Amino acid sequence: MSKLQANISGIIKSSVIDGPGNRMVIFFQACNLNCLYCHNSHTIGLCNLCGICVDACPTNSLQIDTENKRILHQENTCMRCDSCIKSCPENSSPFYKKMSVEEIVSEIHKVRDFISGITVSGGEVMLQVDFLRLLFQTIKSDKELSHLSILIDSNGNIAQDKWDSILPFTDGVMLDLKAFSQENHKKITGYSNETILESIQYLDKRKKLKELRFVLVKGMNNHEDELRKVSQFMSSVSASVGKSIIKMRKHGIRDEYAFVEEPNADDMEMARNIFEESGLNVLMI
Amino acid sequence: MYIPLLPSFCLFLRHKMRKNISMEDFNKRAFQVITDGNLDYRQKKHHLAYIAESSQAYPEVSAEAKEALEKKIICDLFEGNAPYRPRYVLPDYALAMKNGIDYLELEAPKDFDEAINFLSILYVQVPSITGYSVYLGNIDQLLLDYVGDLSEEEIYKKMKLFWRFIDRTLPDAFVHINIGPEDNIIARVILRIERELKQVVPNLTLKYDPEISSDELLLEATKTVFEVAKPHIANHPMTAADFKGNYGVVSCYNSLPEGGGSHTLVRLNLKKICDLHQGDLQDFLSNTLKKYCIMTLDIIEARSKYLVETVNYYETDFLAKEGIISLENFSAMFGFYGLAECVNQLMKKSGSQSEYGKDEDANQLGHLILEEMKKIVDARELPYCEANEGKAFFHSQSGIDIDIEETAGARVPIGSEPDIYSHIQAVAPHHHLFTGGISDIFHFDDTIKRNPEAVLDIVKGAFKKGMRMFTFNLSDSEFIRITGYLVRRSDLKEFREEGSRYGSALFAANSMDNANVDCRVSKRVLSHEQVAGKY
Repeated sequence: MSKLQANISGIIKSSVIDGPGNRMVIFFQACNLNCLYCHNSHTIGLCNLCGICVDACPTNSLQIDTENKRILHQENTCMRCDSCIKSCPENSSPFYKKMSVEEIVSEIHKVRDFISGITVSGGEVMLQVDFLRLLFQTIKSDKELSHLSILIDSNGNIAQDKWDSILPFTDGVMLDLKAFSQENHKKITGYSNETILESIQYLDKRKKLKELRFVLVKGMNNHEDELRKVSQFMSSVSASVGKSIIKMRKHGIRDEYAFVEEPNADDMEMARNIFEESGLNVLMI
Repeated sequence: MYIPLLPSFCLFLRHKMRKNISMEDFNKRAFQVITDGNLDYRQKKHHLAYIAESSQAYPEVSAEAKEALEKKIICDLFEGNAPYRPRYVLPDYALAMKNGIDYLELEAPKDFDEAINFLSILYVQVPSITGYSVYLGNIDQLLLDYVGDLSEEEIYKKMKLFWRFIDRTLPDAFVHINIGPEDNIIARVILRIERELKQVVPNLTLKYDPEISSDELLLEATKTVFEVAKPHIANHPMTAADFKGNYGVVSCYNSLPEGGGSHTLVRLNLKKICDLHQGDLQDFLSNTLKKYCIMTLDIIEARSKYLVETVNYYETDFLAKEGIISLENFSAMFGFYGLAECVNQLMKKSGSQSEYGKDEDANQLGHLILEEMKKIVDARELPYCEANEGKAFFHSQSGIDIDIEETAGARVPIGSEPDIYSHIQAVAPHHHLFTGGISDIFHFDDTIKRNPEAVLDIVKGAFKKGMRMFTFNLSDSEFIRITGYLVRRSDLKEFREEGSRYGSALFAANSMDNANVDCRVSKRVLSHEQVAGKY
């Protein structure tokens, strides 16, 4: 039994939107981007036991367990008001937990007859690549699970050697492209995108890129020039890779980014037209 | 199958028609029907036949059984006082098409057009309670031999007209047709036509066998469900294993032998017997439940005997005479409903808050009650039930319009369903008991339309867990599956609005919605039926 553990922010046993077929999705905690429209911003950071959430809790349902370096959560008194999440300066949450490979595999066994595969998502799941490798190897060597497909949902901000260590056990990777120009990318995510563009090309070359998605944000990446660059880059990727334009939706984003605007139908149509001019057949979501 | 009429009319029938009526009443009611301008010719004929049947004495049953029927503890689904035709008839269409039918002066068909024509003629001759055949055959298997050189487009055109004929000539949501398990051009064309025509009739089942059916066929079926909430998907290997010969899925999820069927379906109201019960759980199982199961079986026996011995149906009808059906392929059906309410009441009496569908101990009690019933049903030797070794087919009855407080069969009450895995785990363990059929309805969010493969995963998983039948709806589909048949959401809305104008109090509960929906179906398929409520 391995001692490796991962920070898991949640498991969804049935998802129809995280890859083909019915899938179990495992969400990993922590991310190396900070997208201003992130819908799960409490999965970005890691808890440093500062205790601010403990003080913020109106029902005293949280406690610091200093010995085990974790926050204890009393479910029976918790009102799910999310005060803890809103108050966290680290964009973290007291609810994620450490899980071993064995524990996750046992969860998969419970639903194995009902799913096409698993999808690991985040946060940025590739930050816990050693754990992933062991998890994937365990699944692929388990007779009752080996038929399941394994997909990674990543932001792509990951060095090539990390991909190399895991691709042999992976059926495919789904990636988002947030912007093509450095300036726009930094505005949206706080970071530059060289590594992401490299990852996209590398994964495509290795025939592991399954899906490439562009998230359209009004006023951030929907200028004609930017859209032409994005579509040009996306059209350089193999035709077999599924491509889509996702409309940014404000639901669940942090209060400080409330100024971000959703694209309207015209914005979506314009993006589609530009993508189609580049010969791209895109799914609009 | 039941007669799709307004609840008020059904209640009228129950109170007035169970006993044989006086000549004065007979004349009065017949005259009302005859002179009602809002009934069309066929409806008048149907109602007059029912009134005439009610002039006969009920088959001989005990006074206690009669009282249970009156109080709706046991329900014979308005089959009538004098059963003169079986409730479910599944003609051996393949045999008829091979040999021709003397009675109808029909020779064996030689090509596709003749085959469709042959079936069209035969369909309208098959008896049932409503007058419309509940089973139109495993249609792709019946027609494949006649395809010849026809192109897909030619087949499509002919089948589309055939489908229109079925909907307009047999306007009853219980008219049921089967396809599968093999993937074939007829099955594919039918699914395409279903998506295009969006008809309520015929109800449709795909027999699915993971060893035989292709994923592509199941995928086509799934996309068809997205559009028209059918077909149902039947676990073919599991169901086929229960029958000596071929079987058909008819009416509302009833699986029965081809070339035969069921004389009658009588169902026990588990909620009502739980209301009557005074003692503890053990006492319920060994006394109350047993007593009423036996009473239900007595009624089944009396009705079957009347049909076979008094009416001599199986000696006189041309279907029987020509071997298209035969008595040895018949049995009777023992149904029940309201398991959820029964379990929840028994849990409450024992001081527990556990609920059927949500809590393991309640689910276990549900399984226990069903197993007990199955034992009682199997222990009773019934006459004329050779198709099931002298026993009744055990059936989880999917409800009718007058069920107000009771959930259909062994289903989890609407609105109380747990997540899909828990739902499947809660009901799958008892599906094996129901050779006569069982159904549970699952609901998917609209997002699944973009990923129909996800449905395939869940259906296959459900069948691995032992489910006999899988039926699902999209949460915002225009078509809604109610007890076992379909209605259009727009029709339902219209009915609700009309209903509220009548100031009816029937619209409060989900379960009562079912009743309204039933009636709405009859309105679409049998016009002016609301007026029938006057009688």
